[in-house]
Amino acid sequence: MSFTRRTLGKMAMGLIGASCLMGMPAIAADMPAPFDKPGDVKIALVRYLSTGDFFQAYLSGVEAQAKALGVDLRVLDSRQDAALQADMVDQAIALGVQGIIIQHGLTESMKEAAQRAVDAGIKVVAFDVNVENDAIPQIEQSDRDLARLALEQAIADNGESWKAGYVYVAGIAPLDRRNETWVEFKGKYPGIEEVAMFGTLDNPIANSVANQARSVLTANPGIQVMFAPYDEFAKGVKIAVDEAGMSKDIKIYSADISTSDIAAMREPDSAWAATAATNPAVVGQVSVRALAQLLAGEDPGKSVIVPPTLITQKQLIDNDIKNMEELSAKLPQFAHADVAMPEWMPNPNE
Amino acid sequence: MTVRDIAIRYGFIALLVGLIIFFTLATDGFASPQAAVFIFQSVAITGVLALGVTATLVVGGFDLSIGSVATTAMMASAYVLVVLEQNALVAVLACLAIGVLVGLINGFLIVYMRVPDLLATLGMMFLLVGLQRIPTEGRSIATGMTMPDGTVANGTFSPAFLALGRHRFDFFIPSLIPVSVVVLLVLAVLIWFFLEYTRFGRMMYAVGSNPKAAELAGAPVKAYKIWAYVISGVFASIGGILLAARLGRGDIASGNNLLLDAVAAALIGFAVLGAAKPNAFGTTIGALFVGVLLQGLTMMNAPYYTQDFVKGVVLVVALVFTFALSHRGRS
Repeated sequence: MSFTRRTLGKMAMGLIGASCLMGMPAIAADMPAPFDKPGDVKIALVRYLSTGDFFQAYLSGVEAQAKALGVDLRVLDSRQDAALQADMVDQAIALGVQGIIIQHGLTESMKEAAQRAVDAGIKVVAFDVNVENDAIPQIEQSDRDLARLALEQAIADNGESWKAGYVYVAGIAPLDRRNETWVEFKGKYPGIEEVAMFGTLDNPIANSVANQARSVLTANPGIQVMFAPYDEFAKGVKIAVDEAGMSKDIKIYSADISTSDIAAMREPDSAWAATAATNPAVVGQVSVRALAQLLAGEDPGKSVIVPPTLITQKQLIDNDIKNMEELSAKLPQFAHADVAMPEWMPNPNE
Repeated sequence: MTVRDIAIRYGFIALLVGLIIFFTLATDGFASPQAAVFIFQSVAITGVLALGVTATLVVGGFDLSIGSVATTAMMASAYVLVVLEQNALVAVLACLAIGVLVGLINGFLIVYMRVPDLLATLGMMFLLVGLQRIPTEGRSIATGMTMPDGTVANGTFSPAFLALGRHRFDFFIPSLIPVSVVVLLVLAVLIWFFLEYTRFGRMMYAVGSNPKAAELAGAPVKAYKIWAYVISGVFASIGGILLAARLGRGDIASGNNLLLDAVAAALIGFAVLGAAKPNAFGTTIGALFVGVLLQGLTMMNAPYYTQDFVKGVVLVVALVFTFALSHRGRS
């Protein structure tokens, strides 16, 4: 992030405002150690993946919660270099941090580094990477719940028997977990008939999937529902459905959300009916909160699951939601998850 | 003409016709004007890129940066439309300017700095993949996005710009042919005429087959080479414009798949009509060949990994046609 004079000014104003409103001493008295003196608490975020909207939003959530707690946050970004990420954990230990959040990475490279941090008396939490360590809670977004919410909506909208097109690429962990739910639903509702399965990760993904979906729609004109449990897939399917002039005959259900997804769902006669999503910023906040609980001597649990939210086209239009900020503002369940929220924990959204 | 000559000349086209007949019989809806159009549409963007890379192949060079030029142009057009809130014309001109500039820099590096073509354009590829992310700090661009400084970008993809990706011309059937297909066909005819029938184009072939001889004959070899990279850059940026107009947003992407598909189309083109050299007609047929295969396979529910396999097989067969069967390949 680049600090222009204006953003620095805004932050200073915000801090002054916040301290006037809240009254620092009162808050500090309620906080458990070490957060009674939050300025002395140093935590580090050690990242493996950082480019893209999801990771940007995750970071903003981490920053917001760290700011609400008043702790000193260091961000170490390995930019998809597994060896460097392990070195960065050692670097964080040398910096003298009390807590570390490991964000993504490879089990093989991070397992020992995480153990070294735990041995050094540092509290560690991990997001979306299994470091095989009982002392380290896992922060997870539930991919199975994401798929379940979207499919339940599809059944609510279309009944229990329809012809489906399914977009899937095997071997990608979150997609594999979402696939488990799809397989389960097909077993539970025999009326759901999967007439075509396709998918590709050739980038730009939306463009490649659009080309495939166009062929699938021509070969299977009876498709009523497209289940595309990843927003890039859904975008591609929507382009193909529009190009085929079938946007009134087909409904698309997906997972994940972004500002451009919201625009696509809001288009007149858009085929994109609903998506289930976890707010990456909330996942970031929950990561910091779970770490803070550990530091305060509380137990956040072995795995901390951030629940997803169902977002329908109707909600977006009725509430006039145009981007992610408005989505958070108007759907409170999307802006905040009541996870890892003991009494004393400050809520960054307030 | 012997049987062997006929096989070399028409073998690939016969294979294409055979494929079309096979898919017509094997799937419902393959033999329809709509299907023909979306096969063209699915290869329009890689086809335009492939025509550009053909120009660099003609002068004996290579351009690895076309995929990232296309995605950079896509990001640039989104930036101009959404963040700077300019109109479609400005966006298109900005993209074309990027194409020209990248082509000039590539040409300069290769001709005057004597950097080998593969290495210079590889460097340019990495440079552009990084550069396209700098203005938005790695975010994709869409209307309503939050910029790094906290402001909200309110510009939209104007209808005129989106029409480049979504408008369809009437052709016997109302709203049949998308703009991207027309662009592909027009550019293919232009570059074909340019390379085959103009003095400039023939000189480019001369430069490619023997630069020393061309130089001794008084041809400005350096200028021809730089022009080839400019053509390649401009074509790639046109591909990027079409991509942005179809997707309706600026997407972070490396464009490597676009590069590989385009190069494959151009190389398959060597085999068409037994040309055994880069040529615009062959490139277009090569792109179509890949499109017919992939769309046909998708209609038959073939999984995605078979598609890369099939692409590879086609490329290998085409290269065998070019190098083993044709006499020219032996020299």
